[in-house]
Amino acid sequence: MTTRVDLDDVQGNVVKAYARYGLVVARYVFFHVDVPVAGRKFVADIVPLVTLGTPWKDLSKTPRVGTNIGFTYEGLRHLDTPEVTLHGFPEAFSMGMKARREIIGDTGPSLYHRWDPVWNNQDDNKQHVHIMVTIDGKEEKDLDSRYQEIQRILAANPGVSQLVGHRGAGGDNLPYQPAAALLSTKDNLGYPGGKEHFGYSDGITTTFFEGCGEDPNLVIGGGKPTGGDPRTPAGWAPLAAGEFILGHPDEAFEYPEAPGPPLFSRNGTFIAYRKLHQNVGSFHSYLDEEGARFPDGKEALAAKFAGRWRNGAPLVSFPTEESANRFVAELAPLQVKVWTQSATPQEKTRFAELSLQLVAFDYRDDTSGARCPFGSHMRRTNPRSALQFGKTNAFAVPGALSNRRRILRRGLPYGQVDDPTRDDGDHGVIMLIVNADLSRQFEFVQQQWMNYGNDFGLANDPDPLLGNHGTNEGRLGGGRMTIEGDVVTNKPPYFCNHMPTFVETRGGDYFFVPSLTCLRTIALGIIDPT
Amino acid sequence: MANKSGNAYALTVLCPILRGVPSDSPAGNSGQTYTALLRNVLQTLHVNEESPMAKVPNTYLCRFWVLSDVPYQGKPAFLEHLKSDYLVFSSNFHGELEPYLAGMWKALQEDVLAILWHCVGHEAVRDAKSFIEYVKKCQVTTTFFFNGSTDEPLVEQLKNLYLKQEFSRFAFENQGKSASELQEAFRGFVQRTQPTNLDGPTWAPGAYHLDRVEGASK
Repeated sequence: MTTRVDLDDVQGNVVKAYARYGLVVARYVFFHVDVPVAGRKFVADIVPLVTLGTPWKDLSKTPRVGTNIGFTYEGLRHLDTPEVTLHGFPEAFSMGMKARREIIGDTGPSLYHRWDPVWNNQDDNKQHVHIMVTIDGKEEKDLDSRYQEIQRILAANPGVSQLVGHRGAGGDNLPYQPAAALLSTKDNLGYPGGKEHFGYSDGITTTFFEGCGEDPNLVIGGGKPTGGDPRTPAGWAPLAAGEFILGHPDEAFEYPEAPGPPLFSRNGTFIAYRKLHQNVGSFHSYLDEEGARFPDGKEALAAKFAGRWRNGAPLVSFPTEESANRFVAELAPLQVKVWTQSATPQEKTRFAELSLQLVAFDYRDDTSGARCPFGSHMRRTNPRSALQFGKTNAFAVPGALSNRRRILRRGLPYGQVDDPTRDDGDHGVIMLIVNADLSRQFEFVQQQWMNYGNDFGLANDPDPLLGNHGTNEGRLGGGRMTIEGDVVTNKPPYFCNHMPTFVETRGGDYFFVPSLTCLRTIALGIIDPT
Repeated sequence: MANKSGNAYALTVLCPILRGVPSDSPAGNSGQTYTALLRNVLQTLHVNEESPMAKVPNTYLCRFWVLSDVPYQGKPAFLEHLKSDYLVFSSNFHGELEPYLAGMWKALQEDVLAILWHCVGHEAVRDAKSFIEYVKKCQVTTTFFFNGSTDEPLVEQLKNLYLKQEFSRFAFENQGKSASELQEAFRGFVQRTQPTNLDGPTWAPGAYHLDRVEGASK
């Protein structure tokens, strides 16, 4: 039987990547609860604003703004959550992101001493961020009107304070973390303008699970591999809902670990919020210097890092820059027409065919990594069926080693790059990683796949783009990457050495994102764990 | 087949530890039992390339520990106890048992005697022959083990490991050179690393990082 998820009870940011619906600007706001009863009243006042997971069928009627809420472990404690319920939370959540730094690699350049002030208080390991409210909107004015509404709620509940201390264009003490899609007029795939600061199209694949209510076609490339043709729906199946939503069976046919009572955790989930700074100066200078030596040139090297060309075309299907450019040159204008609802039926069909090629692939024809390196960011973080290493039926299911390591990616870029030759400034990506089990999913991917390479036969080489390559000295770090050669064309392998750390953590924590039912019981203070 | 997998041998030895407190305790340790004293000896052994066992030819991986009792598995299992504390010596090595133990005696007889001093019947151990007899009396059959090693003698494996690391470094350092430059660099590499010379330069037994290997490029 297929899992049914009550989407009216799940928060909207869990099941929807808002940016795909045109909500491309955001503010992330954090609060501290001084007086529990005031905190509960604050939650009660926010609940009516919370955006639900109910599917948005009619795209012309999608809301202009979405609002969601989550709590740290200390936050729940300060909202009178019973001790027994608190103790039911998994250790990763109760410890918090900072205390898990050795596991997730937030060390060296990513150590919390360098984080935004809002994430550091005097007692470094104690969470003082209690509540996260995320506001996603179509335009700044939508955000601002919702933000002002929340300010009025805050003013009415003096036992709650808004935490300042986000670094940004306005200084080190912004009252919230702003974020916005980087709008690009060309090769804007994924969602409109879906670029990040290194120039890659981002957010192309969206993880698909049972009962999520999204377009069923997104299962292609977004679900779990079945062993069938990856270009067709038969090649994919939805992941179990319990991988992302508590209270539903997961890929092991069990309920994910969650605190009692069931009413408290069912339809909730966990989000890892991460502010990831991008060292654009180091990235560009490394790419320029190494790209000048790399036989296929700079753009090809950038593609080898990511597994996609910077225009979004996957290397495994488009091995040459020319083929990738040709593909995107046809796709991008069609996408603009589809998004602006000016496409003809023929154009819509062609768009659907082409956009499928962005995601409908696996690595069965590239078992040597000659096209898409084993160490590239995309192949590491979403191996599809590649961990079978070309063997058929190596496991009971092709994704046996990856189906329980999937995450949902939410969030947006933040800041602007004023000088692309410099690392400083405040620009990067706000990542919100949704998963039912922080330890098994997010932390595993971070520890084993981002900052270690053994699962891919790459010894201890980290992810080229997001790995921690140590503290950069003179724009050089300790990272290295092997780009596999090709025995067919007699192309030798290529080795990248002294890679600097391109991405550093600048803040974040783990949040419980409850169901609407749970939010109401928190607000009322009636959670009964007995 | 018990104890062996290919050329790898898995030795398991359980030597009963003397009961009680020795009358001639080492200075400063009076009142401690043989078990406590032995634990102290084992826990203060040097490790990695400093380990005494690094001197014993063909040792892949080994460990000494004190087994005080067996854990209770819960009902319906029986609650059982061992008759005494045991010194356990577990070693995976290349080749046959007797030559291996003879090599261990030759390299380490003082350490061996210092450890066995805590065990029942240690007085019988006087030379390589009596050491081998003692170990065989205390040997239990290893029925199941994971052989995490290739089938080669240790010196060959250490040279392999050294060459693999050095070659990887060579590839990083010389990429992009012309054929003649590459050939010249490779000649230098061969001259320095001496691939056919098992005596050196090579990976030191017990070493865990190339930087700790004598003669390796830094």
